[in-house]
Amino acid sequence: MITFKEGNLRVPKWNRRVFIVAGGTTAYKKNFPEYKLEELAMMAFKNMLEDNDLKMDPLEVKGLMNFAAYGEFADHFQDQLLCEAKIHDYLGLDPLHNLGIKTGGATGGSTVLTAAMAVASGYANVALAMGWERMDEVDTRTGNFYISTAACKDFETRLGRVYSSYYAPMANRFSEAFHVSEVTRAKIAVKNHLYACSSPYAQQAGKYTVEEVLSSPMSAYPLRFLECCAMSVGVACALVCDEETAYKLTDHPCELFICGGTHTLRVADRRHMEVPLLPHETPEMYKDLYKREGARYPGFESFLAARFAAWLVYRMAGIKNPLEDMDLVELHDAFTISDLQTYGDIGLRPYGQEQDYIESGDAYYINPNTGKPGKCPSNLSGGLIGTMHAVGATGIFQAAECLWQLQQKYDKFHGDPKIWKKWGKEKPKDWQSLQIPENSRQALWVSHAGVGSHVTVGILRKSW
Amino acid sequence: MQLKKKVAPKKKSQPKKKIQVKKMQETTFTGKVTKIRQKEPATVIEWPRSLTHIHTYGMLSPFFEGLRKGELRATLCPNKNCPEKRLWIPPRAHCPDCHTEMTWKPLANPVIGKIYTFTEVVYAGTGIELSTPYWQVDVEIPGLATIPKSYLLYGKPYIGMKVKAEFRTKTPSNTVLDYYWVPYEE
Repeated sequence: MITFKEGNLRVPKWNRRVFIVAGGTTAYKKNFPEYKLEELAMMAFKNMLEDNDLKMDPLEVKGLMNFAAYGEFADHFQDQLLCEAKIHDYLGLDPLHNLGIKTGGATGGSTVLTAAMAVASGYANVALAMGWERMDEVDTRTGNFYISTAACKDFETRLGRVYSSYYAPMANRFSEAFHVSEVTRAKIAVKNHLYACSSPYAQQAGKYTVEEVLSSPMSAYPLRFLECCAMSVGVACALVCDEETAYKLTDHPCELFICGGTHTLRVADRRHMEVPLLPHETPEMYKDLYKREGARYPGFESFLAARFAAWLVYRMAGIKNPLEDMDLVELHDAFTISDLQTYGDIGLRPYGQEQDYIESGDAYYINPNTGKPGKCPSNLSGGLIGTMHAVGATGIFQAAECLWQLQQKYDKFHGDPKIWKKWGKEKPKDWQSLQIPENSRQALWVSHAGVGSHVTVGILRKSW
Repeated sequence: MQLKKKVAPKKKSQPKKKIQVKKMQETTFTGKVTKIRQKEPATVIEWPRSLTHIHTYGMLSPFFEGLRKGELRATLCPNKNCPEKRLWIPPRAHCPDCHTEMTWKPLANPVIGKIYTFTEVVYAGTGIELSTPYWQVDVEIPGLATIPKSYLLYGKPYIGMKVKAEFRTKTPSNTVLDYYWVPYEE
């Protein structure tokens, strides 16, 4: 039984305010033979230093850094231990210290958290957060096996050797418990593949129908291929700094709040507990939900790690109601089901009503029910299903997308034909901007590992 | 990137020293020739790997011994003051709540459980040891704190379906795959 004592629930507090001022990325591809990993890292690094309208020369900005946090999910994939040293050297950052960060799918978020802790503590004024994955050194099935070693090797890995088979049971239980049609899951896939069509970085863009999603090949019942994330090669980075430096570098910095949570690697071991309540929730909301026979919280339906991270960061950032307070969310849609589950964890809807976030149209750029902007659009980047999951990069890429949206730079970073050309693509003639409105203030992103073993929830707040 | 033309090194004016080189045994290349998979847009080679890890079951070894003998063994926290009185499968050597070393408790056969949730694994990763497609099942077992993952040997699962544990005792794989479930009718 998980019981908390006072210290366990201390809300993290930075010693000084922390900001993100710039982001950088490569495109994401299934195979990327054109470039070595360190070359891709340099391209993302240059993108961050040169293309974010910083008020200082790129090499002068580099001259402000004294710490780097590097996210990489799996040494297996890169087949290179201490890859961090190679990248750091290649970027010309020696002998500044760097730390390698590893928390599975949440590696990107944890990397940003590490850079933020360095700045908040005073270790650094300017810290680099960079993450990558090179998943094309092995074939897809071997890649799936590597990823499945992020399930318990003694009691789970041999029973699937593919991560969809650890999420699929959650999908079946979720559908049964909360009466959710597979059409709702398919709508998430349709939405995120579609939004990826506006991104020059996207690997799995496509205009699909619900029927096409549901008739795509089965990975593990009920999850189809079109409901699963990309296996990618690519790099993303973000520049994290203190308040004084932030305003020296840009007139448009975003303040950063980020917290994390964890839970058992095996879903099997998640014992029932009381739901930790978010600021806008009451115990009455859940008094009947977990009384049904066999029902447990978080069980197979929800992620305690995500709920715990949200519980902390909402208090850290003074968020009262995420649906009202956020103008954009970038969620970890590794699978349609994990996206759906997360709506409840972070309080976009109460537990048990997650599907309403999609069905109401709130999750869309343009609400399909009303034709007006969605209340709190989700994954306009295309997410993991549409755009990328170069695992160590993902939580940083999401942060960069949130930053650019708040800075009103969606078109600059997605609509420029030169960017499309740089990555060997042509900007579509029917390209559509997904820029959120100018009065938008806050964006949230979730970085998520395992079947919810590690989760960070980050918030960027416009600070100008 | 352009390749620069080679420039001939300047000759040094220092007097030459004679280095005596004994004809000894040469170092030979003993590997296999690395296959070039593609040359455009960049050179891509193949890098074969074949590995065996030496893995211990540690203090959980009795669980796997139990499977070979047709027995599901759970662990139990013996600390009377510990709030968790239920059994653990997957077993743990130490209680996560009070850190006490756990004791073993075999479950009496037949072990009857109830399917909590399931999936049909259609596309499995490299090295899969079960013929695909197969049903992976998470089973509620009376008295357990946990809902362990296994597979259904035959039949079609549904949530709430009663199942009975069976064991691969004749040709054990010495892994968690040595127990599985079959449909159970009273």
